[in-house]
Amino acid sequence: MAHPTKVEPSFLHRLAKHSPESENWAGIREQSLKDLNTTNFPHRKIEEWRFTDLKPFTRTDFVPLSEADTLPATDIEQYYIPESDRSRLVFINGTFQEKYSSIGGLGKGVTFGNLSDFADHDAVEEYLNKLVNYEEDVFVPFNGLMFEDGAFIHLEKGANAEAPIQVLNLYTDSKQAYIATPRMLVVAEEESDVTIIEDHIGLSENTYMTVPVCEVKAKQKAHIHHVRIQRDSRSALHVSRPIAYVEKNAEYHSYTITLGAKLSRNEPRVVQEDEEVDFTLDGLVLIDGDQIADTHSVMDHRFSHANSHQLHKVVVNGKAHSIFNGKIFVRRDAQKIDSFQENRNLLLSEDGLVNTKPQLEIFADDVLCSHGATIGQLDPEEVFYLQSRGMTEEKAKEVLTYAFALETIENMKVESVHQLLIDEVYRYTKANSVAKVTA
Amino acid sequence: MLELKDLHVEVEGEGIEILKGVNLKVKKGEIHAIMGPNGSGKSTLSKVVAGHPEYEVTKGDILFEGESILELDPDERAHKGVFLAFQYPVEVPGVTNNTLLRESYNTIAASMGREELDPLEFEDYIKDKLDLVQMDPEFLNRSVNTGFSGGEKKRNEIFQMAVLQPKLSLLDETDSGLDIDALKIVSNGINQLHGEDDAVVLITHYQRLLNYITPDYVHVMMGGKIVKSGEKELALELEEKGYDWLEDLATVNGEAK
Repeated sequence: MAHPTKVEPSFLHRLAKHSPESENWAGIREQSLKDLNTTNFPHRKIEEWRFTDLKPFTRTDFVPLSEADTLPATDIEQYYIPESDRSRLVFINGTFQEKYSSIGGLGKGVTFGNLSDFADHDAVEEYLNKLVNYEEDVFVPFNGLMFEDGAFIHLEKGANAEAPIQVLNLYTDSKQAYIATPRMLVVAEEESDVTIIEDHIGLSENTYMTVPVCEVKAKQKAHIHHVRIQRDSRSALHVSRPIAYVEKNAEYHSYTITLGAKLSRNEPRVVQEDEEVDFTLDGLVLIDGDQIADTHSVMDHRFSHANSHQLHKVVVNGKAHSIFNGKIFVRRDAQKIDSFQENRNLLLSEDGLVNTKPQLEIFADDVLCSHGATIGQLDPEEVFYLQSRGMTEEKAKEVLTYAFALETIENMKVESVHQLLIDEVYRYTKANSVAKVTA
Repeated sequence: MLELKDLHVEVEGEGIEILKGVNLKVKKGEIHAIMGPNGSGKSTLSKVVAGHPEYEVTKGDILFEGESILELDPDERAHKGVFLAFQYPVEVPGVTNNTLLRESYNTIAASMGREELDPLEFEDYIKDKLDLVQMDPEFLNRSVNTGFSGGEKKRNEIFQMAVLQPKLSLLDETDSGLDIDALKIVSNGINQLHGEDDAVVLITHYQRLLNYITPDYVHVMMGGKIVKSGEKELALELEEKGYDWLEDLATVNGEAK
């Protein structure tokens, strides 16, 4: 890591001084402090942050979570998915909630629970904070200085989680703006199989910041299906760092659904660690009002024979702003790569804004990388077609927006999550169907 | 049923006049064929009647059952019983044929005072409509026109016509892109659907379709006007002589027939 000559202390640096002492994570604290103190808070002069202004949040008076008067969470059962009645981890503002969780188990070889209860686990010692790798980043070390609890999911060799594991992150109301630091580690040993539903839900409309860090390791022939739903408060800032390492013959498929937050910055990364891997990094973003949703992704092909797929679909209404930067690296020895990337943006309003930048850096010569980015409005011809079949203009637009968004959620394996997302898409399109179509 | 009175139409915002005074009367129980070379305005005519927002009526009127429908949105026209079979039917991924049709059927039924159908009743209702155009019931579960062949799309349009039971059907080049077998199926469907109480306007470039559907009247459009009208024999004459011999009529600054 290149050390900047001088580090300007930011609100994060100040808040990090309230880092709670931790017996479990002393080593991580130490490393994180070093990293944070040598890294500047990002600003728009840095290329990676050109389109995303964090100023509204740097001006917010955040307090450490320990000093916030957070209100209790109520009616949280509504967010449980029925498939996970024996496999649910609930966190409120990043703190594990044993009474709401269900760790009854999914059979032999499947371990899941609160990270701090598994600090001595081999997989935790081997991988926690070791997989996460973001250059010049203040958010990962900040998380490392603040987290105590977290989700830990481990599958022994050949273990098959017979039900999806739900990781429910709830954020409660509070007068003061606070910062939560959810943490997650998933280690799937050889030939194991697991589906994870990670959900972030703001229970009110208050301002808070959440900085989830998630490390995933898929060992040989392991299969991981990872759904991430972001339904934060419309005043919240969400900065997430999910990174997955994929070994030989393993598969990692992730689907990120971005619906909430005032500003979200999602940086999913997948790193290929050996030959013959298969991974997906799909996304669906539905934003309106003054929301900003920024996805900076990396698909790092380091060895031969990989199939990778990234379909990133975005619907923008109102004055909302979507940013997409999709990096695809194909290293020199990574031949026979079949990589697909497509970013499709549907702009429903005149004031909406989309920045898209596919970024391919290919150093191998025998690869197939297709990529594309489109920004468009609803096709007036399609609206007319549906109207001529008796639908009102509003209904026609609603149906077409719905159809546009639907493609990305077709692959949901968990039925209730599939239905939940259909409902979310429907709710969004219904709320936004009054948008004007321009020819 | 349909009356066009001195209809002048421009592309919205472009000031280019495409229809230059069209007069046409279509009565209940009739089939009219509108023929003409490419660019004559015949497709525009059908879209304008259906209410396409791209076109602006600058002069004249469109009467449907005696009332002007100029101010009505396309869906409101559909509710009154106007149906347009598209030359290029639009693909709508994510919405099944069945969903679209039931939604359409029920909105139109409600506005016409017919009974709305629940999913099971609707299933019964459309069974024999499928047979009419020899469509596999599997079509109902597929997304509207998505991945359909050209011929399948056209058959799907006639299937929709069968389900929605419009009073006035405007069929825009429904015959184009069909092989002879599909053409027979489609024509047969149209013939069976047509009766005493509805009217059909066929927009077509070729006489071929008229071997299977016998129009009561044939009109020739050129340069944005109907330059000649006649009975079915006119179509044969056009087949034989082409459109060139009518060009003089198109340029005469008089009232077209």
